[in-house]
Amino acid sequence: MSIAKIKNLTKEYPGFRLDDVSFPIEQGKITGFIGRNGAGKTTTIKSILNLVHPDGGEISYFGLPLAGNESEIKKRIGYSTGTVSWYPRKKIRDIVAVVKKFYETWDEAAYRRYLALFELDENKTPKELSEGMKVKFNLLIALSHGAEILILDEPTSGLDPFSRDELLGIFTQLKEQGVAVFFSTHITSDLEKCADNIIYISHGRIVSSMPKDEFVRAYSQKGENLEDTILRMERSAKNA
Amino acid sequence: MRNIMLKEMKLSASPISYLFILAGFTFFLPGYPVLCGAFFTTLGIFQGFQYAREANDIEFSVLLPVSKKDTVKGKYIFVCFVELCSFAVMAICTLVRMTALSGAAAYTSNALMNANLFALGTALVVFGLFNTIFLNGFFKTAYKQGKPFVIYIIAVFLAIALFEALHHIPGLEAVNAFGFEHAGLQLALLFAGAAVFLIMTLLSYKSSCRRFELIDL
Repeated sequence: MSIAKIKNLTKEYPGFRLDDVSFPIEQGKITGFIGRNGAGKTTTIKSILNLVHPDGGEISYFGLPLAGNESEIKKRIGYSTGTVSWYPRKKIRDIVAVVKKFYETWDEAAYRRYLALFELDENKTPKELSEGMKVKFNLLIALSHGAEILILDEPTSGLDPFSRDELLGIFTQLKEQGVAVFFSTHITSDLEKCADNIIYISHGRIVSSMPKDEFVRAYSQKGENLEDTILRMERSAKNA
Repeated sequence: MRNIMLKEMKLSASPISYLFILAGFTFFLPGYPVLCGAFFTTLGIFQGFQYAREANDIEFSVLLPVSKKDTVKGKYIFVCFVELCSFAVMAICTLVRMTALSGAAAYTSNALMNANLFALGTALVVFGLFNTIFLNGFFKTAYKQGKPFVIYIIAVFLAIALFEALHHIPGLEAVNAFGFEHAGLQLALLFAGAAVFLIMTLLSYKSSCRRFELIDL
């Protein structure tokens, strides 16, 4: 069941166009959003979070249009924007103390659990964190308020292989609880490990949006893994 | 709105923004252009905006479960809060000057604009200019701060020069009267200053909401 729908999203920049992007985000599924650097992943994610003002298209969550229902919808969404550092000189404890007041659904037990799992020290400031730990801090907030959809921009980049594996395990657990996980990545092995659906974007256009198994059947040639398939597709798009 | 204000105060604000509230004490200084105190308060707010930009505050605010309009509202409420705290300091200084210190030679022979009810009204106009020019200019991009602040500096110093010069114009001496002489006129001018502040801030806020809704972060 679609919990969010993106229809005909367009955004034009000088030298780049996000062109007629449409896809659903399904409840209880992990959707991997893949594409090379500059393909339009971050623009798409920023658009569906209202950080970027799209030129056209419709974005709805839980059957409600984002426009006019932004604050209600955002309470039910968790998001993480990779290694961006918020308030680099404030203690994590102080940032969280403010953030949690925005969410009636803040789950202190989950917060403590993920804090311990990610081995984050509340007395540190984001400035003192490595790139990977910054990702974990952003994820910590996203995971601690009972979000029904997680929208994560390259959550695995900068993480060591153990942390990446742990995180993909958390995605699977959340999926089993009915949470929709939507994450962008350019690491195909992340998709192979946990994604149910794959959305592949290239040069601002959605090339494919379908379940992973179907994707493999439709595009992979004999003996190819997902990375080989996507590399081949990307090369033929470049040569076309 | 309480939460967004808490965020502004605890995360976004720089200690300098609070410290420069004390610039309101310039209303105690004899022989000093007292309206510079209002400017210094806005300078502290400007420093706070720079600090917030380094902390990616706007992007963080927009990702919180609030509308973009509420993000703008939070900034305006915080700025008005700082301005009104500074105004309260100025008002206390002015009342002390007008009452307990009304006989002090340093104040009675003040060469520049007196700290009186009219001066308080003009301080509100200075704050109104900041809200109109800087805040509204900032929300055009939610990033660029230099240009709107330079335009504000030019406007505010022209305004300060005008207010300082006003009582030298024949017939307008009453605006600079010290103590409670011409208190009625000055009180009316104070209310006029408050109305200008309110109108400028509201119009600026509405324009900023429109601008902020359309920009890309």
